[in-house]
Amino acid sequence: MKIIHVAFACLLAIAGITVFILLSEPPAGVTGIAHETAAGMKLGGDGAARLEPIGRAPFYFQIGVICFAASLLYMGVAERRRDTALKLSVLVMTGIALFVWYMLYSGYEAYLATGETDVVFGFPVPTNWMFWGIWGSFAVFDLFYVVMFRRYFLPYEDEEAFASLVAELKAEEERA
Amino acid sequence: MEEYRQGVILTCVALYMVMCIGVGLWAMRRTKSAGDFFVAGRGLGPIVVSLAVFSSTLSGFGFVGGPGLVYATGLSSIWMAVCSALGYATGFYLVSKRIRMIAEVRDTMSLPDVVYARYGSNAARLLTAGTILMGVLGYLATQILAMALVLQSILSASAMFADISLLACVVLSSAVLIFYCVTGGIIASVYTDLVQGIVMIISGALVVITAASVFDGGFAEVSNILLQNDGEDIMPFGTLGTMASLSWFFLFGLGLAGQPHVATKMMMNRKLSDNRIIMPMTVLGYVVAAMLWISVGVVMRALVLGDVALPLGAPDEAAPVFLSTYAHPLLAGIVFAGLFAAIMSTADGFLNIGAAAIIHDIPKAIRGRSLERELFWARTATVGLSVLSAFIALGSDKLVGLLGAFGWGMFAAALVPVVLIGLNWKQASARAAIVAITASLIVNLYMQLAGVSVPYGISGGFLAMLTSLLLFIGLSLAEKPKPLPKDIDRIMDL
Repeated sequence: MKIIHVAFACLLAIAGITVFILLSEPPAGVTGIAHETAAGMKLGGDGAARLEPIGRAPFYFQIGVICFAASLLYMGVAERRRDTALKLSVLVMTGIALFVWYMLYSGYEAYLATGETDVVFGFPVPTNWMFWGIWGSFAVFDLFYVVMFRRYFLPYEDEEAFASLVAELKAEEERA
Repeated sequence: MEEYRQGVILTCVALYMVMCIGVGLWAMRRTKSAGDFFVAGRGLGPIVVSLAVFSSTLSGFGFVGGPGLVYATGLSSIWMAVCSALGYATGFYLVSKRIRMIAEVRDTMSLPDVVYARYGSNAARLLTAGTILMGVLGYLATQILAMALVLQSILSASAMFADISLLACVVLSSAVLIFYCVTGGIIASVYTDLVQGIVMIISGALVVITAASVFDGGFAEVSNILLQNDGEDIMPFGTLGTMASLSWFFLFGLGLAGQPHVATKMMMNRKLSDNRIIMPMTVLGYVVAAMLWISVGVVMRALVLGDVALPLGAPDEAAPVFLSTYAHPLLAGIVFAGLFAAIMSTADGFLNIGAAAIIHDIPKAIRGRSLERELFWARTATVGLSVLSAFIALGSDKLVGLLGAFGWGMFAAALVPVVLIGLNWKQASARAAIVAITASLIVNLYMQLAGVSVPYGISGGFLAMLTSLLLFIGLSLAEKPKPLPKDIDRIMDL
């Protein structure tokens, strides 16, 4: 199975979940309730009631998105350089992103069930998972790009191969 | 210093405008060809490129619309910002190397040029250029209108300009933008982006510190007020709910590298290896600047819900009211200059790619060659495009809203499959590219023109992008692979 097939399968899963959600009857105030006095402001209301018709669909939706994003990023490395170490690294980085998502979503579900949450570093715990976790889990891919740049993204031999391609094309142009 | 507040703000904004004009004059002497005008001769250093990439991404929306959205709907819109690490990862993993290589080998000046080099299809080139032109007109009109409204709010607070009209503000702010874009082309654009990026980072960092000190208990007190009054707003999905937030994450995270004004800048660096430095600088610059978006929005919401301040007239007033009430006058001046920087840095990028579409891409797709005297026509098209956008901005609020609202979604849906996947997958076909772009335009236009309200707040742009991605990959898989031109084939092996 090629990586494009994985990406396509993820997209189909995302599309399937989206169709399921679109076909579910949305409860009243699903995108918030207008504030009585503040113009343009919305309140969230009962978060658990808003999720009732679609259950955990958003959780599975985002798993599909994370896997699709990871397969796309994997495609960014030239095919002949996709070794076992790269595969393992992408799997670990994807695992981190999935773990962060699980912590965020389960924390949010716990808040919906109990109405209580701890405030850490100025924000509720699930919100911290969003600010730092979601951003940070993909920043790991950014860090990987910087650290592994010469191994996977622009090895010296690829740089030389490109320079010789440019030289060849210039020579052809001059001959013509 | 409080009594000089208005004077300080005006001085900061005026100094910033003068700087833009100065850069335009300096860049004019370095702009000798259409290649210099559109892609800076592919000779820019890593610091300039990284600041240009991030400042183009974060437009006036991030500095005005962003805090307004947080004030109105809690943290839902923050998914557009926390996806930036993914957005830049896709840009640098999938686009930056190949687009720069193709630019050098084929001497390309624009994204439609790259699309033509990859697919060998003039129809794909024309559709890409048409998409860019449509999106640019909408985006530019909204940026010009935003710029004029901010200028009007600053000037009308002073006795001398109390009655200044919106038209005068459109003329004044557009004149500065047009001047440096026409004289210096992309060279002026990226060097103003450099300064604009620095101003935005400083603004972002200083505003967070200010916002944290509005309440004695800092952001923890802000969170407690919001948790007591609603709760959902300060939780990860805000008041709009899970699917609205997650569809934005998809659209903005995976769609960032499909934005033509961002992707085009990836063609301009001097050396391929500079990408290793450009990527982290871009990511960090964006994060610091985007902190303004979050901090101002939540603090203003807590002030209103906690009965400390009166409700705002409109959500977009969140940033201006915060600055005029809680920020030190000098900081307010810097941030207002930063606001103009954010708007102009995006607008100049759009002017550049829009002019390229008119004088280079569309003629090339139709008659096989671009216009004679490209540099002259590039400058003329830049003026024409600005004037047209200014008229659209002044003439029809509805049209501006319509075009501006789906600009990002239209770019992402049309260009992500064709560029991000197409540059990394040899089997991707020209027919699939044409179908994907066309389908994305149809879905996006239908959603906007018919005023379709998608259940659960799911973004229409997300649906268009999902459709185009599925069609692009599905059709390409169904087709027999065709051989690529030798140079493109070799580039895709690297």
